[in-house]
Amino acid sequence: MAKEEINIEMFATNGSKPHADTSFKKYAWKQFKQNKIAYFSLKVLFALIFIALVAPFIATDQPWYCKYKGVKMFPAFSLYNQCRITDKSTGVTETIQYDIADWKHLEAETIIFAPISYASNKTDYDNAGYVSPFAKQVFKNKEGNEIVIPLKFRHWLGTSKRGEDVFSGLINGTRISLSIGILSMSIASILGIFLGAIAGYFGDTKLKTSRGSFWTFVFGLIIAYYYGFSVRSYVISDAFAISGLEILFQLCMSISIFSIVTYFFYWIGKFIGKIPFLDQQVFVPVDSIVSRLIEIIISMPLLILIISISAIAKEKSMVNLMIIIGLTAWTGIARLTRAEFLRISTMEYIQAAKSLGISEFRIIFKHALPNALAPALVAIAFGVASAILIESSLSFLGIGVPPSTVTWGSLLNLGREQFTAWWLLVFPGLAIFITVTVYNLLGEGLRDAFDPKLKK
Amino acid sequence: MLKYIFKRVLIFIPTLIVITLVGFIISVNAPGNPVERMISTTESTGEIGSQTSNQKEQKKFWTEKLGLDLPIFYFSLTSFSRPDSLYKIIDRNEKEALDRLISKFGNWPQIQKYSTDLNHYYFSMIQFSVDSNAVTLYDKDDVTETLNQLKFEILSLRSSYELSAIEAKFSNINLLLSKYPFLKKFKNPFNAIESDFSEIKKKATPWKNYVPKIAFYGSENQYHHWLFGDGGKFSNGLIRGDFGTSYRRKEAISNIISEKIGWSLFFALLSVFLAYIVSIPVGIKAAANRGSGFDKSSSVILFLVYSIPSFWLATLLLMTFANTDVLHWFPESGVKPAIGYPDGAGFFEKIKISLPYIILPAICYTYSSFAFLSRTMRVSMIEIVNQDYIRTARAKGLSEKQVIWKHALRNSLLPVITVFATVFPAAIGGSVILETIFTIPGMGLETVEAIQNNDYPMIIAVLTISGLLTLIGYLVSDILYAIVDPRIRYS
Repeated sequence: MAKEEINIEMFATNGSKPHADTSFKKYAWKQFKQNKIAYFSLKVLFALIFIALVAPFIATDQPWYCKYKGVKMFPAFSLYNQCRITDKSTGVTETIQYDIADWKHLEAETIIFAPISYASNKTDYDNAGYVSPFAKQVFKNKEGNEIVIPLKFRHWLGTSKRGEDVFSGLINGTRISLSIGILSMSIASILGIFLGAIAGYFGDTKLKTSRGSFWTFVFGLIIAYYYGFSVRSYVISDAFAISGLEILFQLCMSISIFSIVTYFFYWIGKFIGKIPFLDQQVFVPVDSIVSRLIEIIISMPLLILIISISAIAKEKSMVNLMIIIGLTAWTGIARLTRAEFLRISTMEYIQAAKSLGISEFRIIFKHALPNALAPALVAIAFGVASAILIESSLSFLGIGVPPSTVTWGSLLNLGREQFTAWWLLVFPGLAIFITVTVYNLLGEGLRDAFDPKLKK
Repeated sequence: MLKYIFKRVLIFIPTLIVITLVGFIISVNAPGNPVERMISTTESTGEIGSQTSNQKEQKKFWTEKLGLDLPIFYFSLTSFSRPDSLYKIIDRNEKEALDRLISKFGNWPQIQKYSTDLNHYYFSMIQFSVDSNAVTLYDKDDVTETLNQLKFEILSLRSSYELSAIEAKFSNINLLLSKYPFLKKFKNPFNAIESDFSEIKKKATPWKNYVPKIAFYGSENQYHHWLFGDGGKFSNGLIRGDFGTSYRRKEAISNIISEKIGWSLFFALLSVFLAYIVSIPVGIKAAANRGSGFDKSSSVILFLVYSIPSFWLATLLLMTFANTDVLHWFPESGVKPAIGYPDGAGFFEKIKISLPYIILPAICYTYSSFAFLSRTMRVSMIEIVNQDYIRTARAKGLSEKQVIWKHALRNSLLPVITVFATVFPAAIGGSVILETIFTIPGMGLETVEAIQNNDYPMIIAVLTISGLLTLIGYLVSDILYAIVDPRIRYS
């Protein structure tokens, strides 16, 4: 028995090996790896993501480890924000609030600071007023005298007018920029791939349904909107005043209600479609609807549209911005996916799948989609770059971004007031430039890797 | 050709309607109370409306002028529990409070009774003045403070909707009412309000909120008036170029825009023009000598240039070339000297004076579309050069110059022309940032200032106009395409 299994396994690997080698994915990856610049930019991207993930730990004013009056603390990694310390000899209890404690002047036995020992939104009053990276930086010691700053507290990339550390702002800004780019593009990808896929697959003449089902479905969409969003409008608008997580949760709830109600009406429509007169067949012009929608969205000046929408948002938050960018940036992805689906839907293997009686839904997402993803991936890479650009231009203008959040764009804006503070202009701009270039190079590399014209 | 253009224009009309709808939806959802905003601005300047000294009348005047006493759209999807007349309530907070109460309890008759009683009560409270005899018995300041507090509590009751907040206010008011004997006559009406409210809770019909209803309002609505005007009474409508009044500058938006749009269009068109005349030769040269040093270096440089954010380049240029500490070759901001042009300066003299102001912004406007266009040109040229008819042209002995400029150019221009549709809107959108950095008095700078001052009518006007300009960009590129490629016209 065991022997047989092994044999089958061996057979399977033997059989699939040559096939795996020639698969499009493997081929594209090989092509991509040969493109040294693109491969390098992928590595840089991983480095940036790593920085974004660990940013709160490497650029923070809370030390990694601190031993104070015999109590060991790990403020930077702790989930709690405070620590009570009781002095054994006097019995006095002292509470240390991690986020507002003055760690640099704490008389601790041992203390290990993060590599960049400043938080991005806190100010160092001793070094306020545009201190250059190369200038003399000062530090007040315990006696209150100004001394030359110790190396571990140096502002490596200078400070802003209010004394914010630029390096810390850059590191923490990586997190914001990357998450805006990636999350908004996730929304855009889901929308764009779904709409592009159904538009390309069904076209104007392939989705046939009975008159009754069609109108039931349209009616169902209105009802679903009513129960999903209209009834819950106050719940959603209240969520915007609470937190980003609450917004996402309430939106997900609304979308689920919307989907359930829509499905319910789709199901009812099947029965209504059997009634005489209502059972006449009609075509649903999916392609026309989606194409018009795309046309309308690309005719709007994106930046001005986003600015206008974020101007009316009651609470300025990054989640808002992500949703707005995501809802407006899907058109490129949809167009490319649509074109690809137009090509694929006429291929033999799709015909074969249809003749086997596989459901349309399964054909689209299981069989056709994996082969249509390549151009969408290219568009997503370019899309992330432009989302990051939009975010940084908005925070550069100070619109739609909460004023307390330090981002690359807001740092650059601080430098605009004082042109002699070149470090405020050069470093944040460089960070934006590198990130945008990395994504553009990635997109370029993916395009070359997927392009069958280059196949030798 | 005319038929083709006509067809294209027809297709744009629905898109234009959607753009106006989006602008309108944004303006309806704008926070703050436009009526109060208008009253405060006119009070400070003493313009129209201020002669109606009574504040209530003024409120009514502006509500009518801004059309806020009308339903929002031709129809609305509401619930069975909501009355058709809720839009008539002028005060925004009160309206929202009532709407939220409905969405919680779903019984409009009871809520309406509560609301009207409360309003009557508030006005009787405002008109109430204390008998001077009564006051002598008590501390005068204390009495006025209590009365003020009472008025404030009742006023805030009108815009409260949370159960706990309302009940807290009830107990507060009761406490204040029992403070002085001369307030006794307000006690009973207030108890009536309280019983109104308990009636709301008792006869709650929340199920009515879950029954949808479509209400039709006809053409007497805000959108219709905004778009087509209300017969010249207050507005002529968007269709006749009337965008309403700016909150910030208190003048007609159409005047502001016609004054500002010149510089924006100038830079947009200049940048597109410059980008085209530079990028086409660069793209052709790179494609013709594919793989040469020029091709490789220009691709790398163009790629890097393409990724530079325009606002970064702009600040770097200002830092280097308009900085008294480094190089002071160009002025930092504006498009002309602060004192203006000299009297009687001719057109060319004006250009000469403005030239140093224009150079830096022009570079920033141009470079990204320049990089984009050159890359597009190169790719399309390479594709064309590999085609059979070019080989034929070479085979019959034409010089390389003739092959490229005469035979390949026309066809390779096609993709470059289509991207006009993306380059032109990008220039308009980009103006928001670049005009802010260089302080160019155009629409972009006006937009940013409007946003910083919550001047919503202005923001919506800019959105609508730039949408229109974008559409025109598409139209132009479509027509150019049809001229270059006759196949488009006939298919």
